[in-house]
Amino acid sequence: MMSNMIPGLVMILFSIVLPVIPNYFRHPVMLLSVFLSSLSLFNGYGIFLEWDILGLNLILYQSDSLTFPFAIIFHIAAVLVIIFSWHNKNLMEQMATLAYAGSAIGALHAGDFFSLFIWWEATALTSVFIVFAGNTLASRNAAMRYLIIQVSSGVLLLIGTCLMLYQTGNHNLATLDLNSDFGKFIFIAFGIKAAFPLLNGWLQDSYPESSVTGTVALSAFTTKLAIYALARTFPGTDSLIWIGAIMTAFPVFFAVIENDLRRVLSFSLNNQLGFMVVGIGIGTELSLNGTVAHAFVHIIYKALLFMSMGAVLYRTGTTKASELGGLYKYMPLTTIFCIVGAMSISAFPLFSGFVAKSLIMSSLGGAGMVLIYFVLFFASAGVLEHSGIKIPYFAFFAHERKTRVKEAPLNMLIAMGIAAFLCIGIGVYPRYLYQILPYAVEYQPYTLDHVISQLQLLVFAILAFLFLIKFKLYPSEIKSTVLNSDWFYRRMLPGIGRPFFKMVSNVIEKFYFNLAFVFNFLLGKSKKYNNSSFIKVTTPSFATLILIIVLFIMLLIAVI
Amino acid sequence: MKKNDLKKFGEIFTKYILIISILLILLDFTFHRHGYFSFEEIYGFPAFFGFISFVFIVLVGKWLRKFLMRKEDYYDE
Repeated sequence: MMSNMIPGLVMILFSIVLPVIPNYFRHPVMLLSVFLSSLSLFNGYGIFLEWDILGLNLILYQSDSLTFPFAIIFHIAAVLVIIFSWHNKNLMEQMATLAYAGSAIGALHAGDFFSLFIWWEATALTSVFIVFAGNTLASRNAAMRYLIIQVSSGVLLLIGTCLMLYQTGNHNLATLDLNSDFGKFIFIAFGIKAAFPLLNGWLQDSYPESSVTGTVALSAFTTKLAIYALARTFPGTDSLIWIGAIMTAFPVFFAVIENDLRRVLSFSLNNQLGFMVVGIGIGTELSLNGTVAHAFVHIIYKALLFMSMGAVLYRTGTTKASELGGLYKYMPLTTIFCIVGAMSISAFPLFSGFVAKSLIMSSLGGAGMVLIYFVLFFASAGVLEHSGIKIPYFAFFAHERKTRVKEAPLNMLIAMGIAAFLCIGIGVYPRYLYQILPYAVEYQPYTLDHVISQLQLLVFAILAFLFLIKFKLYPSEIKSTVLNSDWFYRRMLPGIGRPFFKMVSNVIEKFYFNLAFVFNFLLGKSKKYNNSSFIKVTTPSFATLILIIVLFIMLLIAVI
Repeated sequence: MKKNDLKKFGEIFTKYILIISILLILLDFTFHRHGYFSFEEIYGFPAFFGFISFVFIVLVGKWLRKFLMRKEDYYDE
């Protein structure tokens, strides 16, 4: 029976019954549901479940070599999130997290655009409750903005799908041409969730506003689902190379000056997505392998970094660089785990980022794309700056801390420990990762050329950091808001819209004022009949009643 | 728990990074490093590129503060 049940669906079903389970058993039950869902990984490749409805053939469950690595890492991420949030008693967040992870896994196995759309919306609707569970005014407002953006992405996907069905009579998940009408709609829909340049505002807006545990869950699924969808439908689309290159370079500058370290990580997440998008754009077997490998390792180290900042937030109540520092003394294990994550994302040899990023860089070199190659090389120095150095430096070092805090709780340490173990494990034994990639490609990341180039880049960038700190050129932490593309809908549109609506409402108000004047005039005439039996004062409810009766009589007449 | 723990740590760290970076540059002279593009193979190119990129990113970021930085409660009104 389990064999053709959609993976992830079992997690959604379990999330519905969570409220009737006592608090102490909820996390084990959540883990059990992930385990049951992960059994689907042993099913092999093929189409397992179809449904004919309304003349459409929906492929609800299919799997192949592209879904497989994503399905594995989504299950691993779900386990990490559950362990990390073991202490959390917030029922809404527990339910939302489990259902969100389940929908993301379900989305991977959709074989046509309509089923994908359903899961696409399911991830939006479940994840918005995770943002909401941040339980501050800021997080509630961010959640509403997040919902609007995510649902817009879903609506664009639906429009694209309907157009595609209308024009081609087919709605199966396949590679699309960006020149077709429906291709453009679907491209933008995926682009919103993949945080393309200027469509990225929602990411840095909402993720840092979620709870200690919520951000970890959010960081894993939505954007990587979009990467999967792009890799499936638009491999080899040239414009993706440029879009990706811009994504790797731009967030770097924002991350330098951002004060909230979880927002720095969100910019960094955006920059990492850029590497994956470039890989999709090149579209060779090597580069697509690189994209999948990068998504795989990225989910682990990004979760690890968000977990370490979550632990800092949990113990100190803030992740603002301007208020942190010196935590290495009180949270030594968290510090070590954070540095492992930082070294992985910076792609130090023997850490997981290196074995994945090399694939993308090699495919760029192989294709002879000089400019993009150096943009990505430059962006690698940027990754080291914000995730490799800024995060650990400002949280755990920078200056001495006056107040004492405790080390992170055991469950957090276990989750971070597993993630750190995977980061190093994959870095040292990359062949296990390479085995599950979509295409069989012989690749050796540890050549002397690669290792020395990468080490030179990283070590000299660290040297540059020490130099800037020494001469006090490094920008100090300032409490501030950094403008991002969400400014357009948080400030510019209201800036234009509000005066416009005010003008319109002024006109309307004036109109009613004059109308009232006319009525008053007429009523004034009738005042002298006030005491006569012609005019009776009625209450609004009585007037409504009369209206309803009149409408009812009209309806009756209409029916007859 | 002395006040200059961090400073001492910083000095040791700087010393090691300096040693490693000198070693890496010297290593570059011992063999021919292959790259995908010819100027990548210039001696010490990644090192130079890494250093310059890092400084560039930080200084440009700092300069961007003029345009992008607002008060912490900018969106709260």
